[in-house]
Amino acid sequence: MPKGPKHTAQKEEEIAADINHFTEDVQRMLGKSPDIIYREMMLWGIQAVIVYVDGMAEPRYLLEAILDHESRLAPQEHSPAGYLEVLRTEMIPLGRVAGVNSYSQVTAELLSGDTIVYIDGASCAISVGTRDLKQRGVEEATSQSVVRGPREGFTESLRENTALVRRRIQNPGLRIEERRLGEMTQTDVAVMYLEGVADQGVLEELRRRLDAIELESILESNYIEEMIQDRRYSPFPTVYNSERPDVIASTILEGRIAIFVEGSPFVLAVPALFPQFFQSSEDYYQRGDFASMVRLLRYLCFGIALLTPSVYIAITTFHQEMIPTNLLVSLIGQREGVPFPAFIEALIMEVTFEILREAGIRLPKSIGQSVSIVGTLVIGQAAVEAGLVSAAMVIVVSITAIANFALPAFNVGISARMLRFILMVISASFGMYGIIIALIVLGMHLCSLESLGVPYMTSMAPFRWRAQKDTLLRVSRREAKKYFGKA
Amino acid sequence: MKGYAWLMVILCASLAILPGCWSKKELNELAVVMALGVDLQEGGGYVVSAQVMNPSEVGSQQSGLSGNSPAVTYSAVGKTIPDALQRMLNVTPRMLYLSHMRVLVFGEEMARQGISDVLDFISRNHELRTDFYLMVAKGMDAAEILQVVTPFEHIPSSSLYSSILISNKEWAAMGKITLQQFITELDQSGSNPIMSGVELHGDPKTGNNLENVKKIKPDTMLENAGLAVFVKDRLVGWVGEAGSKATNYVLNEVEMTSGYVPCPGGGIIGVEITSARSKLEVHLDKEERPQFIVRLKTEANLDAAQCSVDLSKVESIDQISRNLEHKLTSLLEEGIHEVQRKYGADIFGFGEALHRKYPKVWEKYRERWEDSFRSMEVRVYADAEIRRIGSIVQPARREMERR
Repeated sequence: MPKGPKHTAQKEEEIAADINHFTEDVQRMLGKSPDIIYREMMLWGIQAVIVYVDGMAEPRYLLEAILDHESRLAPQEHSPAGYLEVLRTEMIPLGRVAGVNSYSQVTAELLSGDTIVYIDGASCAISVGTRDLKQRGVEEATSQSVVRGPREGFTESLRENTALVRRRIQNPGLRIEERRLGEMTQTDVAVMYLEGVADQGVLEELRRRLDAIELESILESNYIEEMIQDRRYSPFPTVYNSERPDVIASTILEGRIAIFVEGSPFVLAVPALFPQFFQSSEDYYQRGDFASMVRLLRYLCFGIALLTPSVYIAITTFHQEMIPTNLLVSLIGQREGVPFPAFIEALIMEVTFEILREAGIRLPKSIGQSVSIVGTLVIGQAAVEAGLVSAAMVIVVSITAIANFALPAFNVGISARMLRFILMVISASFGMYGIIIALIVLGMHLCSLESLGVPYMTSMAPFRWRAQKDTLLRVSRREAKKYFGKA
Repeated sequence: MKGYAWLMVILCASLAILPGCWSKKELNELAVVMALGVDLQEGGGYVVSAQVMNPSEVGSQQSGLSGNSPAVTYSAVGKTIPDALQRMLNVTPRMLYLSHMRVLVFGEEMARQGISDVLDFISRNHELRTDFYLMVAKGMDAAEILQVVTPFEHIPSSSLYSSILISNKEWAAMGKITLQQFITELDQSGSNPIMSGVELHGDPKTGNNLENVKKIKPDTMLENAGLAVFVKDRLVGWVGEAGSKATNYVLNEVEMTSGYVPCPGGGIIGVEITSARSKLEVHLDKEERPQFIVRLKTEANLDAAQCSVDLSKVESIDQISRNLEHKLTSLLEEGIHEVQRKYGADIFGFGEALHRKYPKVWEKYRERWEDSFRSMEVRVYADAEIRRIGSIVQPARREMERR
């Protein structure tokens, strides 16, 4: 069982009607952390205390307002609770002010950055919305950059993120549902959808899954993704994620449901279908014909990223008769003196590349450069010259890697990468025959997947004619209306 | 349930590992046979020669540096061809791989004895494709042909392969006969197969040395040698350039070729045939004897005028086309009659045409078709059109004389 104190386990204790008790109680619950500030003051002759977490709350306006307006009321005009009520309704120039009655509320509000105002003798307090989390500004999204299109990316602040989407969809039907998940972290998780467009069944299913989450901590949206995805043992992602508000806005407009998690710039969207992972927001910001071409290219890239090494292994070790004679001549020439079988050769190169890629991500940018230089020289040239691998294999591995990076969604690239290794093993044992069997099994698996109850391959299998305007191709909007009907 | 799932995983994994990739062969374990030559061995059996690519010489980037031969020809004797190939493994360091064979060469002596036994092996073996070319080494053994080093192409058999391809396409004096075609012709009762011929030009002794290609004019070269005519599976004789052309016209194999015709008023004019289509017709005369008609329709361009005819006149162009028609008619008639009279081989498929049109009449001839064909009447009607006369109108000689 969890070690630390739990919010839910705390008693719904009524607030003590004595300031010393109140302070002690709060200190007992939160510990004597130096960042929790107890600002004591006299208001209308009564002792009062203002509690906030330094660094998360900005109580300046609150304090200014209280001190400015104090003189408007005479001492003993009201009871302590009455003064609080007047404070709440008349004096505080801030948007969110609420009364709180229990210590659990007090601590929750405090820890999320609100300020608590308490006056001696009252058995309640007020909480003022003074959240001012220091955060990154809205910056350009780094994971899905575009040539043409909005540059904004989500930040770590949930409220900022929902605002970025709401700004794009100024529709009264846009709904946000919030809940706190994670027993220890009490992370805000928001669900956003468009009323009347989002499928009610999917929404219900999502609510059910979110409510069923029993996690101690949620630090990133992947925590949620793992808990709500349909099938754990599938290499394919069934939850979409994006760092771009325009992408999330468009998925919401398509009837999907977005899930925002406090602290993560990656917003989830469900249901996620296979074709979605091949769409880039830029498809919609460029001419339709060009976008269609690029999209087809991405499907091709997926095929290349998935199959090239295994097909190369299969053909060169089992089906040499398939290679055109002149190509065979040069391939054999390159392989002269290579000590490993093609499979081991491919494995060495692929693993080397994965290592380089991993190293490149972790390293600071300034050192990352030198890694790529070493990598290029080591795998690109020296390995060939030393006769460890053949030049053709370097080409195969490079095109595979580049094709993998051409995929717009990082997570579907990961699927291709994992499956690639499995396919390589299969092709080394069974040749083309094995690859074909594996592809058939893969097709069956894809068709059996679901994302929140929606078949993963929807619009291809089951086939939807109307969806074809935006599946393999991106038909330009005017033509789409003509051939595929509205919506 | 969980144990069962694990059992399945282990079974699948062992399925991948235990069979041991039995048909796996790495590229550098192969000796790629580019050409195979088959000759008769005195006292029964075959001498099989295999021209094997030397990959370190041909494929690698530093090719030619070590100065070794790009191909190695191995020979072995055996009662059957696979037997000979097995014996060859005594000398080859690698496994012989037949899928990439470009040409199969028969020695002339071998071809005269009949090649159906060899074809049986060739079509039975699953490793062999059916798209390589068949050839006969004119007047020599196949082994000699496979021992010549050729310029341009590193591997002599590639050189043979591409020269057949090019000369068939551009000149029509060569047949490109693949295994598939040969066997089809062989199995049809009303036609006889042909094969391309190849011969050695120069001294075979100097031909097998790399020095040969280091000269600007190699001493020894491989040369096309017209068509080999077969009756059933036996070589009966050769037709030369004119006969080969005629045969290709009748077989509708001409894509492009060139020739010359007499010019009205002396001299000659060169023509380039750009399109040729032929049709075989069969008629029966009163005594139910078949008569064959070859109708040839060609289009040609004028490509060299070595005379002083006035080319701006329609009549002269007409005259030239008529001359071309005469020339084609006599070329075809002579070619056909040569093969007909000399060899009695129906390499044009007249019998097949008769079979299709008059199956009942065919029954009478079926048994002795080769003999009856010798005396059959074949007529040729050629139709030619001159389409283009090139960038200038009048012949240069005429322009000069008019000064």
